[in-house]
Amino acid sequence: MLLAGLLASVEHGLNRVLRMDSTALPRLAALEGKVIAIDCRQPSVRLFILPDEEGLMLAAHWEGEVDCTLRAPAGSLVQLALASDKNAVLHSPQVQLHGDSAVLLDLFGVLQDLELDWEYELSRWLGPVPTALLAGHLRLRARWTREGLARFSQNLSEYLAEEARTLVGQREAEAAFRELDSLKLDIERLEARVQRLARSLDTSDNA
Amino acid sequence: MNDQRKGDHAEPTTHFGYKNVPESQKAAKVAEVFHSVAAKYDLMNDVLSGGMHRLWKRFTIELSGVRPGNRVLDIAGGTGDLAAKFSRLVGPTGQVVLADINESMLKVGRDRLLDRGVAGNIEFVQADAEKLPFPDNHFDCVTIAFGLRNVTHKEDALRSMLRVLKPGGRLLVLEFSKPTNAFMSKAYDAYSFAFMPLAGKLITNDAESYRYLAESIRMHPDQETLKAMMVGAGFDRVTYHNMTSGIVALHRGIKP
Repeated sequence: MLLAGLLASVEHGLNRVLRMDSTALPRLAALEGKVIAIDCRQPSVRLFILPDEEGLMLAAHWEGEVDCTLRAPAGSLVQLALASDKNAVLHSPQVQLHGDSAVLLDLFGVLQDLELDWEYELSRWLGPVPTALLAGHLRLRARWTREGLARFSQNLSEYLAEEARTLVGQREAEAAFRELDSLKLDIERLEARVQRLARSLDTSDNA
Repeated sequence: MNDQRKGDHAEPTTHFGYKNVPESQKAAKVAEVFHSVAAKYDLMNDVLSGGMHRLWKRFTIELSGVRPGNRVLDIAGGTGDLAAKFSRLVGPTGQVVLADINESMLKVGRDRLLDRGVAGNIEFVQADAEKLPFPDNHFDCVTIAFGLRNVTHKEDALRSMLRVLKPGGRLLVLEFSKPTNAFMSKAYDAYSFAFMPLAGKLITNDAESYRYLAESIRMHPDQETLKAMMVGAGFDRVTYHNMTSGIVALHRGIKP
């Protein structure tokens, strides 16, 4: 019952968010009737997602047929939720996908493309003029924070890689990896040659 | 099953809460209760169950296995909580029938669902659970939530539900039941007989209806008895799930 209560709250919140995007619900309507099972291995939790034109329905049990099952540990699921390149996470060895993967990818597509019209929601409570003032202020602050964080991140990485030499720079690391790859290939070639030589020595001894 | 017969010529009686009334009067008395509470039924459900009734119904939906295109009958559907969810699940190719014997409840349910935009694949039928006006083998799923205890002849109602289900179709009975631990049972008794009539008095100005609710729950068959009744009616693979320490149980049976 606790899980059911939690899912009901999450579902309610999620559907409110989905309603703030004008394209999300029509796109989810195309997935109506599909059932996606998310099977988290560690910790062991099973969750069912049923999209339709009113949003998402979340369930802890489902007796009907499932169209797509995604099985992964919690870490990979979080990674999947946050990553922009979901295909890379889906192809990792910890993640197993059964059934119609297009359903899952379509759902991820809808969630990834969300553009929330939060100003409309805010204007319902505050009115149009205060909303416009507040939104302008918030947008300015958000841009300033984003740019500040980007600058800080760049400065920090440059300091650590170039000045303090605590970390290896991106290009340096890539060059080292390339050398390692080439060394690995050389060793494999050498190993193959040695084996061939050993085989030819064996055949000449037998003759 | 609690019916009593007084002599050869007297009318058989049945329970109405803790009272015994002639069988012919029970439906009218139950109707009176629901006419009285219909307008504030949802509010009272939330107050009395602390919102838990939504979770119990959610679990019922999860176990229904309803798919797009299915036909679902929601008996004693009241204000349409289950029917609204089923309407989403069966989609435009399916059909949901909300049936209730009580005109006031059906009217409240119909207005509420139409106001919420639930329409197109849903029908409203005033019907007695004991004599369902539908063809044999018609529905993929039949549900009755918090309604069976008000039915006069429960075995007849179960047989009627079996008749309208398709072979392989499932019946789900969500109903108050017997708490599974002694402490919960005592606390629940105190809550039911002290708080429920008081809340009824304060919110709907009708303490009697909520006293009947508490009494009718005590008179309703417990988990094992209801399971045996469903098996007796002809259902197969009958199982039940206790919820909230057995205060509520969800019984499920399949038509063979």
